[in-house]
Amino acid sequence: MRKMKQLKGTLFLLLSFFFVLNVGAQEKKITGMVTSKADGTTLPGVNVIIKQSNSGTSTDFDGNYSLTVPGNTSVLIFSYVGYATLEIPVGSAKQLNVQLEEDLGALDEVVVVGYGSRKKSDLTGSVSSVKSDELTAFPVLDAQQALQGRAAGVAVQSNNGGEPGTPINVTIRGNASITGSSSALVVVDGFVGASYPQPGDIESVEVLKDASATAIYGSRGANGVILIITKKGKSGKMSVELNTNYAVQTTANRLDLLDATQFAAYNRAITPSYVQGSENINWQDLIYTTGNTANHQLSFSGGSENIKFYASGNYFKQEGVVINSGFERFSFLSNIDAQVNDKLKLGANIFTSRSIKDGVSTQADSGGRGSGDVISIAYRFAPDLGLLDANGNNTFNSVGDDIDNPFAVATERQDVTNEDVYRANFYGEYNIIENLTFKSTFGFSSRNQNRGQFSPSTLITTAAAQGGIGVIQNLTSSTVLSENYLTYSKEIGKGNLTALVGASYQKDKTFTSATGAEGFVTNTTGYFNLGSASVPLIPQSNLTEREIQSVYGRLNYDFSDKYLITLTGRRDGASNFATNNKYAFFPSGAFGWKISNEEFLKENATISNLKLRLSYGASGNPSIASFNSLSTLNPIYTAVGDQTVNAVTPGRPANPNLKWETSFQTNVGLDLALFKNRITFGFDYYNIDTKDLIIQNSSTAEYTGFANPFFLDNLGEINNKGFEISLSTKNIRTDNFSWNTDFNWSTNKNEVIKLAEEGEDIFLPSAAPGHFLQDETHILRVGEALGQFFGYEYRGVFQGGALPEGTATFSGAEAGDELFTDIDGSGEINSSDRKIIGDPNQEWTFGFNNTFKYKDFDLGIFFQGAVGGDIYSLTLSELASGGSNATTEALNSWTPTNTNTNVPAAAAREKRINSRFVYDGSYVRLKNIALGYNLPQNITEKLGMDRVRFSLSAQNLLTITDYPGTDPEVSYRAQGNQNGNVNQGFDYGNYPNIESITLSANLKF
Amino acid sequence: MKNLKYLILLLVLPIMGCSDLEEEPISLLSPNGFFQSVEDVQTVINGSYGNMAEEAFWGRKFSLPLLLRSDMAVIGDQGTAGRRKDHDTFSVTDDNGMITAFWPRAYQVIAGANEAIAGGNGLGLEPETINPTVAQAHFVRAYMYFHLVRLFGDIPYLDKPVDVISEANQILKTSEADVYANIIADLEFAKQWLPDTQPSSGLPSKATAAGYLSLVYLTLNEFQNAYDESQFVIKDEAKFGLGLAADFQDLFNASAQASLNEIMFSIDYNGFRSGNFGQDYMPALTGIRANEAGDIGGGWSVAVPSIEVYNRWDGRDYRKAVSLDTTAIFGGVQDGFMNFPTYDARNISSPYIAKYTRFIGQTANGNGRGSELNYAQMRYAEVLLIAAEALNEITPGTTEADGYVNRVRARARNGSNFPADVSGLSQTDFRTMILEERRWELAFEFKRWYDIKRRQLGNTAFAPGGFEDRPNFSATRDYLYPLPNDELARNPNLEPQNPNY
Repeated sequence: MRKMKQLKGTLFLLLSFFFVLNVGAQEKKITGMVTSKADGTTLPGVNVIIKQSNSGTSTDFDGNYSLTVPGNTSVLIFSYVGYATLEIPVGSAKQLNVQLEEDLGALDEVVVVGYGSRKKSDLTGSVSSVKSDELTAFPVLDAQQALQGRAAGVAVQSNNGGEPGTPINVTIRGNASITGSSSALVVVDGFVGASYPQPGDIESVEVLKDASATAIYGSRGANGVILIITKKGKSGKMSVELNTNYAVQTTANRLDLLDATQFAAYNRAITPSYVQGSENINWQDLIYTTGNTANHQLSFSGGSENIKFYASGNYFKQEGVVINSGFERFSFLSNIDAQVNDKLKLGANIFTSRSIKDGVSTQADSGGRGSGDVISIAYRFAPDLGLLDANGNNTFNSVGDDIDNPFAVATERQDVTNEDVYRANFYGEYNIIENLTFKSTFGFSSRNQNRGQFSPSTLITTAAAQGGIGVIQNLTSSTVLSENYLTYSKEIGKGNLTALVGASYQKDKTFTSATGAEGFVTNTTGYFNLGSASVPLIPQSNLTEREIQSVYGRLNYDFSDKYLITLTGRRDGASNFATNNKYAFFPSGAFGWKISNEEFLKENATISNLKLRLSYGASGNPSIASFNSLSTLNPIYTAVGDQTVNAVTPGRPANPNLKWETSFQTNVGLDLALFKNRITFGFDYYNIDTKDLIIQNSSTAEYTGFANPFFLDNLGEINNKGFEISLSTKNIRTDNFSWNTDFNWSTNKNEVIKLAEEGEDIFLPSAAPGHFLQDETHILRVGEALGQFFGYEYRGVFQGGALPEGTATFSGAEAGDELFTDIDGSGEINSSDRKIIGDPNQEWTFGFNNTFKYKDFDLGIFFQGAVGGDIYSLTLSELASGGSNATTEALNSWTPTNTNTNVPAAAAREKRINSRFVYDGSYVRLKNIALGYNLPQNITEKLGMDRVRFSLSAQNLLTITDYPGTDPEVSYRAQGNQNGNVNQGFDYGNYPNIESITLSANLKF
Repeated sequence: MKNLKYLILLLVLPIMGCSDLEEEPISLLSPNGFFQSVEDVQTVINGSYGNMAEEAFWGRKFSLPLLLRSDMAVIGDQGTAGRRKDHDTFSVTDDNGMITAFWPRAYQVIAGANEAIAGGNGLGLEPETINPTVAQAHFVRAYMYFHLVRLFGDIPYLDKPVDVISEANQILKTSEADVYANIIADLEFAKQWLPDTQPSSGLPSKATAAGYLSLVYLTLNEFQNAYDESQFVIKDEAKFGLGLAADFQDLFNASAQASLNEIMFSIDYNGFRSGNFGQDYMPALTGIRANEAGDIGGGWSVAVPSIEVYNRWDGRDYRKAVSLDTTAIFGGVQDGFMNFPTYDARNISSPYIAKYTRFIGQTANGNGRGSELNYAQMRYAEVLLIAAEALNEITPGTTEADGYVNRVRARARNGSNFPADVSGLSQTDFRTMILEERRWELAFEFKRWYDIKRRQLGNTAFAPGGFEDRPNFSATRDYLYPLPNDELARNPNLEPQNPNY
């Protein structure tokens, strides 16, 4: 006891986050064994949970369990994958032996919801679960990547193809913001806004989609919530698990470009004096290589009755398919749960990781002189040039903008990002009186990132004039989070009441700084000795802070196990909201009806489950960066008399009324299970009205003289509506062979309902690279979906002479030039002849997974795809504009003797946005095919192991698409851009997607 | 008792997280309470200078159209953006991307001046202490409105910081005449309070204000006033530290400009930049593609003198040699301008502007972008030519007027005997001569378009036989730009649009 007191005291001193009240109770110990009803075998690892608490245990290797319960009224819940969950009141028993009945569909899994958990069958909201074996079916960089195609309504998008370490964006039920983020909120073990853990450490992922599920996250819930629970230790035998895999990777696709001779001929049609160079290089061959990924994870877990732990270490290393690109990461996760006494439970989750990203330049913002990314310049670069010129210097392009050769840029330019992430979350849970539990968590996370970039003076057009350019950027961000909530549950009449009330406080802080220099003594020091350079660049630093304080509550009432009611609400106050709107309230309500529990269906042999779900509610998107509602003076660079002087200019007017964006969501859902859950079917319809969307108020006249006159204002409205269907079937199930199918399908229709000015389009900031000199690429228009491509409608090649009806050319055009639709009938093409030429929003997406098991072998085949969704290929537009190498399409260019073609004559052309470069981005992809083999039990037992598994898999082996670019999953300017959210469907300089062959081994002992 | 302790902790917990949620943006500069001293006023005025040097104004968006619209430069690379070409061909529409870019930047310069004037006057200092600084802001405001009124005619005119946006959104245009009256009042204030000399040409002096007054009056055809203001400068040229540079080339040499007495006000660059601030593009825009001279990676061949400029400019004029490049270096070999397109199809067979490519100093970026050049907005030579032009209109045939021109010509001779002194010209011939003298002396210095407009020369300059044949030129339309259509949409009170747009 003395020791215990000390422990308590220390905890208070260290954490001061928890309190203990000592109220007496009639606690007692229960033991027992869990077996399978079918064959009587013991079941290890069965979850045994005390109902309406978060404490519990699991059975050991021999199916035995033992735990202390608060009293005779306690109810134990036994759950095990593949078996029906069983609830048994403890009563006066001291021993409870339990037989679980095999269930073909585990409907009564306990799923995690915000600030608690529910039985799946009791859910009223729309929640999709992704199982841990789906997350680890093939090796991925991040857990979010593994979500692709696994849950209806969840869109997963790489921001940069197959780049090692690229950010992955997860969007739920469409795009509901313009300037704000559409990324789902991530909650890991109760820590709001955490980064994803490694896939191998994840126990479960729940995707909260409708307002009933997300409103408890208030002003941050509108984009949906991804709840992740990491693996916890179980009492009983200690388990050690080793997962290792190795993948070999190649580019999934390349562009067919002209060779040196073809290029010279093409170029002579533009510049007759062009002299062919002596080389013949396919630059793609030089910058692409065979990549590989190694991923090793070692975990061990176990525990006694009172202490349980899980710890794992993970090492991930990827060498990219573009030379000199790679990513390396060490991470560590540890979960400890301690039952201090029968009332008090304490625990800690600790996560750390270090990653090192070795980047090559991709998706360049501009490709003018001395810029451009490795991918796009490999397409553009003259194939008849060598690596070095006659003087031994790196070559730069002989046509178009002066850009360095891609091999030199890939090998000589440095861009390294180191990132450390730490997260620790402590919790204490105290059972105050029977049915009333208090839980408090206190967590801290920090992210430290530094990025160094160096362009040596040997890159002629990039940095020779400057004598080398080095830049270092630092970012430090931290979050402190305190959550405190009470949970009360009680049986009232024929129903069960669960009430939750809580408060939270969160503070985020981000500090950035950057410095740089030019004119280095030597290129060998890279960015590690900025002081040796002669010309310092202007340093930058910035600090942003955000505080959120909230109260929230939820009421669940289940009546007669037929009618379910859920009411939630959250009131958020946030510092980033403007002065006049500091607080917001987000309520939701839902109703569920378990029709199959009604008398008329109860005994029905076909329908094993039928449930109707209805919900309506509001949730928010904070969307406002810190300080964005305040007025500013902007410091600007100024020289007077050749001296640099301090200077400021009026920046932005204040908007004291700026507030969050709110989504009002209706959800109608139906869950159906047939033939003892052999077929489960889910259907959801949703309608989301998002109001008060923040866009720039462009009604301020620019002559007011602010640098940013278009202050942020709540002006827009968007609607998203759609259907989601999921279907799981156990097609064949015999002793030796089984075949299961999971299918999900979703469609979303996005529509802009209101913008600032009636009937006025909003031109989004250009998504074209700077050197395209195209100011307008895509628009927002009421009645259309977000981000419509806007430009000229291409009508083929002008053959000279009279213009075909309804078409025209730009002034001065000759035969062989581009022909466009003359919308205003002026006889010449001008800016008023533009229209919507493409819609990047996908019509529907699907995932289709088949799992076959034969004895110890299993085979998984996973298809995933999307239909609809146009792509604007800025890459192909550039390659068709002269001034660069071209695709082999150029061989069919118009000439006086080759007039029956859709390809204009070779010429230097403006890269006008036009429908010629809009393509259908529909695709079907064989995302994964995996063959696994489990060593038979009798052999593993001899080896002293629990499990030995090998698998061979292939990712992205097959893609069916009409898109002529390298890959239909495109992204450009989607990240770190204020309007990144609505920059969809643009393709430029993407890191190529990769094809992998993977060998994996899994050992458990 | 032990439990009580825990209860207190329970109560303390939520308080720990209580905040008023007010933001304390320590990383931002706030306009509230910014003005505390004369230095703060100068910092805001410097912001106006910085905005003038930015890409959307003198960097290129404003300067390039002014150059192309004149009869001295045409588009070289036909692949360049249409928004540029339209200025050369008089096809500008009300959504032209150059205009919609420089319009807000021009008004940002004005907003800085308005803030500085209001902030400076609000400090409660003695006029002798604050006015010499505030006078810079008056000058800046006059400088910018003078550009705008010449380009657009009637314009929205603001002379105070904008507090209530909804009100500012509804103002009416101010008439051209009233804008000029305000410009003159601002310049008078500047002339009264600015010091006789400044440490650099980046800051306006008393003489700068008077010089601009003389140009404003010349533009208004108020020749007596123009003459008087020019005399204010010329009579006291020693006191103001003014004179002509001995070598015309030095005026366009980044390392020599600072030591000259001739530049009365300049937009300064020092070879550094931050984004598009402090970065000029003129060396790139006027440079020859693939030219190895100067080792800046050549230029972009956007604005190039028409061949007529070369043909009609007397070859003996030293200023021609300074202003034009007739050769370039390709592959280590010098070649003449007729062959320029051979080395890059985007070049044209014409000499190129040399004033902004030859001695540009250190550059912050390739192609000469971010040079160290200072761009003279007014040179003393121009004041002399204004005096001559104005006097010829008041009293034709004076030797005094000849004398002003001959001072400029004497420097232009650079030791040769061309151009010769003028004397005995009729009023009409003198008027023609002085405009031609301005054309050559101030070639590519962004003055010629204003001369064409001021003297309504468009119908001859852009007709067959002129320097540029521009059939699209319309005297009833093109002497004014259209107001940006998006601004008309935001404030319909700015209607009507300028004629024929």
